[in-house]
Amino acid sequence: MTRALRILASNPLSLIGLILVSGIVLAALLAPWIAPFPTHNSAVIDFAHANQAPTARNWMGTDLVGRDIFSRILYAYRISLGLGIVVLVIATPIGTVVGLLAGYLGGWTESVLMRLVDVFLSIPPLVLAIAVLGVLEPTLTNAMIAVTVMWWPWYARLVYSIARSEREEGYVLAAEVIGAPTPHIVFREILPNCLPAIITKMTLDMGFVIIIASSLSFLGLGVQPPTPDLGSMVAEGARYLPDSLWMTVFPGLAILLAVFGFNLLGDGLREVLGVDE
Amino acid sequence: MSSVFRILLRRLGISVIVLIGVSMLIFAIARVIPGDPARIALGPNATAEQVAAIRTEMHLDEPIVAQYGHFVTDVLRGDLGTSLYTNRPVTQDIVEFLPATLELVIFAGLLMVALGLPLGILAARHRARWPDHVVRVLTLLTVSAPSFVWAVILMLVFAFYLPLFPVAGRIDDSYEIARVTGFLTVDTLIAGRFDAFLDVLHHLVLPAVALALSGIGQAARLTRANMVETYDKPYIEMAQAYGFAPGRIARRYAFKPSLIPSLTIIGLDFAAMLGNAFLVEAVFAWPGLSRYGVAVILRKDLNAIMGTVLVIALTFLIINIIVDLLIAFLNPRIRHSTRAAT
Amino acid sequence: MTDLLDIRGLTLGFRGLNGYTEVLHGIDLSIARGERVALVGESGSGKSVTARIILGLLQETRTARVAGRVNFDGRDISSMRARPRAALRGTDMSMIFQDPTSSLNPTFTIGRQFAEVMRRREAGLSQKACEARATAMLEEVSIPDPARVLSAYPFQLSGGMNQRVMIAMALVNNPKLLLADEPGTALDVSVQAQTLTLMQDLVARHNTAVLLISHNLGVVREFADRVYVIYRGRIVETGPTAAIFDRPGHAYTRALMAAVPRITGAGLPEVPEVSDDFLAPMVTHPEAT
Repeated sequence: MTRALRILASNPLSLIGLILVSGIVLAALLAPWIAPFPTHNSAVIDFAHANQAPTARNWMGTDLVGRDIFSRILYAYRISLGLGIVVLVIATPIGTVVGLLAGYLGGWTESVLMRLVDVFLSIPPLVLAIAVLGVLEPTLTNAMIAVTVMWWPWYARLVYSIARSEREEGYVLAAEVIGAPTPHIVFREILPNCLPAIITKMTLDMGFVIIIASSLSFLGLGVQPPTPDLGSMVAEGARYLPDSLWMTVFPGLAILLAVFGFNLLGDGLREVLGVDE
Repeated sequence: MSSVFRILLRRLGISVIVLIGVSMLIFAIARVIPGDPARIALGPNATAEQVAAIRTEMHLDEPIVAQYGHFVTDVLRGDLGTSLYTNRPVTQDIVEFLPATLELVIFAGLLMVALGLPLGILAARHRARWPDHVVRVLTLLTVSAPSFVWAVILMLVFAFYLPLFPVAGRIDDSYEIARVTGFLTVDTLIAGRFDAFLDVLHHLVLPAVALALSGIGQAARLTRANMVETYDKPYIEMAQAYGFAPGRIARRYAFKPSLIPSLTIIGLDFAAMLGNAFLVEAVFAWPGLSRYGVAVILRKDLNAIMGTVLVIALTFLIINIIVDLLIAFLNPRIRHSTRAAT
Repeated sequence: MTDLLDIRGLTLGFRGLNGYTEVLHGIDLSIARGERVALVGESGSGKSVTARIILGLLQETRTARVAGRVNFDGRDISSMRARPRAALRGTDMSMIFQDPTSSLNPTFTIGRQFAEVMRRREAGLSQKACEARATAMLEEVSIPDPARVLSAYPFQLSGGMNQRVMIAMALVNNPKLLLADEPGTALDVSVQAQTLTLMQDLVARHNTAVLLISHNLGVVREFADRVYVIYRGRIVETGPTAAIFDRPGHAYTRALMAAVPRITGAGLPEVPEVSDDFLAPMVTHPEAT
C-alpha cells in the first residue's frame, strides 16, 4: 500500500490527480463549515446581491437570486460524489457477479447473461438513463437508479472477459481437480484476479458518473432546484450567456476539475496495478 | 468476400435477438411507470368513460404478454402511436427530427476519427517523450468534461467573444431549401445552393466539435495504448531492421494492426454520441431528435419516449454492424477465414 | 582489402532505474566480404544486442549507451547520424529473425511486404518489376508456387514457408552483410536444418557475408567459417571453426561443447553456473593459411 502510494506520488500527473481528488472530497465533506454562505444550498433569496460578477465577497459571483456560486459548488460536490459512490457501490457488485458467473460457468448461463448485457449496452448509456428517468419522477434517488441501471453492464463485460480467460489458468484447473466448490473458485480464486481492473475502473468511473449525473440534471432530469447541482447550475446560467458567464463557467470548470482529478488518479492507479486499457 | 457476408448474417442474427431484448426492456420501462398510462395520456380532466375507452384502445385491460404482442406488431408496421406532445404520429416526428441529429453525429464521428487517430499515432510514435505527455494531458482534459460544458465554452469563445461561428441553429433563416433527405448538407447540394451548403457547414462546426471532443480524446488514448503494445511485436523490429522511416513504421506497420482492436470501442464511442447529442442540441438549439426526446420526456409522452429510444437503439445497432464489417474488411485473418470468426 | 565489418572496443550499457549497467565490455569482431562468421553464446551473453548495434537500432533508443568503433564497408557507422545509418539498413545489410511468422506484418500480403523492401533500394520500382523480382527470388528459395505465396498473408503460410520468404526478402536487395539471429529456432528441427542449408547455398551464390548468432554449436559447426564465443559481454575465444572445435582453448568453450547434445538439436545447452575459469583471458587461434 505504501509502495503503491510512493509510485503514485512519483508520477507528477498522478500526484496532481491525488491532490485534486483529496481536495474535492475534503471540500465536499467540509462544505457546511468552509462555504462562505452555508445557507445558500437552499431557496435563499438575496436580491440585493443578485446576478453579480465575482467580487471579494462572492469569489465566483452570484446567481439570479443572489446566492453565492462558490458555496453552491461546494454543496453540489457533495451531491455528485454521494451519487457517484452510491451508484458504484450498487452497480459494481451486480456487474461483477454477473460477469463472474457468465465467464466461469459458460454455456447457457453465459449466453443468456451476456445477451442481456448486450441489450443494455445497445442503448447509448445516457439515452438509457434518460429513458428510465423519463418514466420515473426526476429526483436524486431516481437519478441514482437510472445511472445504476445503465452502469452495471459495463462491469459485467469487464469482469466477464477477465473471468473467461482465467477459467483456463492453471490455478483454476488445480482448484477444480481437488474438487473445490464452485463458489469458492469463483469468489476466492477468480475474483481476486479481477480486483485490480475493477478498482481502476471504479476510480475512472467516479469521473464518468459525475459526467452522466451532471448531464441528467443539465437536462432537468436529475436533482431538482433548489438543491444545488453542477449540471443544473450550468443549464440555468446558459440562458444568460454571454453576459452572466460566471454562472455557467464556474460550475462547468468545477465538473472539469473533479473529473480530471479522478481520471489522472485512475490513470496512475492503472500503472501501479498493471491493468491494461 | 463470402466470409464477410457470413459475418454480416451472423451480426444481423445477433442484432435481431438484441433488438427483441431492447423492445422488451423499453416495454418494461414504459410499464413500470407509476400511475395509469391512460390517465396520463388524457390528463387529469378526463372522465371515467374516456379513460375506460382509451384503456381498451391501448389494450391496457389485456394480459401483459398480449400488450407486448400488440406493441411489437405495431412497431413492425411502423406504427409507434401518437405523440401527446405534437399530436402527430411518432413515426412522422422521428422522420422529421432524426436527420438533423444523424447529420450532427456523423460529422462529430468524422472529426473523432480524423483528429483522434492521428493524435494517438503521434503519441505512440514518440511514446514517453514530450509529444506523448502533451497528448496525454490534452486528451485527459477533453474526456474530463461532459459535452454540454464544451458546448458552452466553445459557444462563449467562438460565437460570442470571437464571432466566428453562429450561435445556434442549422442554417440561416434566409435560405429556403426544399426538404428531400432532411440532411441539410445533402439537400442544399440537391438544390444546387452551394452558398447554403457552406452556411450549413458553418453552423455544424461548433456543435460537432463540442460533441466530438471527448470522443477524440478516447480515440487518441485507445490508439496510443494499442500501438504501444504493437511496437513490441517482432514485425515492428523487422521493419526497423529494414530501415523504414519511423513515421512510415508508425503509420503503416504499427497503426493498422492496432486499429483493429480499437475499432470496436471507437464504434461504441461513436454511438455514445447519439446520447450526448441530447446535451449539445440543447445548448445550440439544434432541432434534432434529442431535443424532441427531452421535450417528450419532460411531458411524460410515453409513445414518443418509447419510439425515440427504439430508433436510437436501432441506429446504434446499425453502427455496430458497420463497425464489425469494417473490422472484417481490415483484418485479413477474418476476411480470409473459411469460418466466421467470433 | 579491408574487412566488410570491423568492430573495435565496442561497449554497451543501459541506463535504468538502478543506475548504469554495462552489458558489452569491449568487443572486437571482424567479418571479411563473403565470410560466414558465427557468434556463439548463451542467452543474455550479449550476442543479440551486438547484432542490433551493427544495424544501428540500439543507438536510437534513449536508454542505451554505445561506445567504440563500428566500421562497415569502409565507413564508421558509430559516428553516423540516424538517417544515413537507416539508409544502410534493408539495403546493404539485412536481418533474419527467430520467429518468421510473427516477424512478418500480419495485415499485409507477402507481395506487398516484398515490394516495400525492394523499394528501399530502388524507390520508383514498378509493381510489375517488384512482382517479377520477388517471384525470381522465391523460386531461388525453392518455393514451388510463388504467385500464390505473394498474394498470401503470413498467417496463411506454414512456419517453414515464412522462413523461406524471410530469407528471400533478406537477400532480395543483395546485401553485403546478413545478420541471422537464431534463424528458425522457433521452428522444428528438420525445418531448421533445411533453413540452414538454404541459407548456405544462397549466401554463397550472392557472395553475402553472414553473422550467424546462435547458441547451438551444432548449427555453428555446419555453417560458419569462423567462430567467436561470447560470455557475459566478452569474447572469450575466437578462431577458424575447425580449430575451435578440435582444440577448444577456453574453459567456457569446453563447457559449452560438453553440454551440446550430439544431434543438431534445438534446446538451450546446459552450461554449469559461473566458474572462475570462464573469466580467463581470451584465446585466439591463428588464422588458417
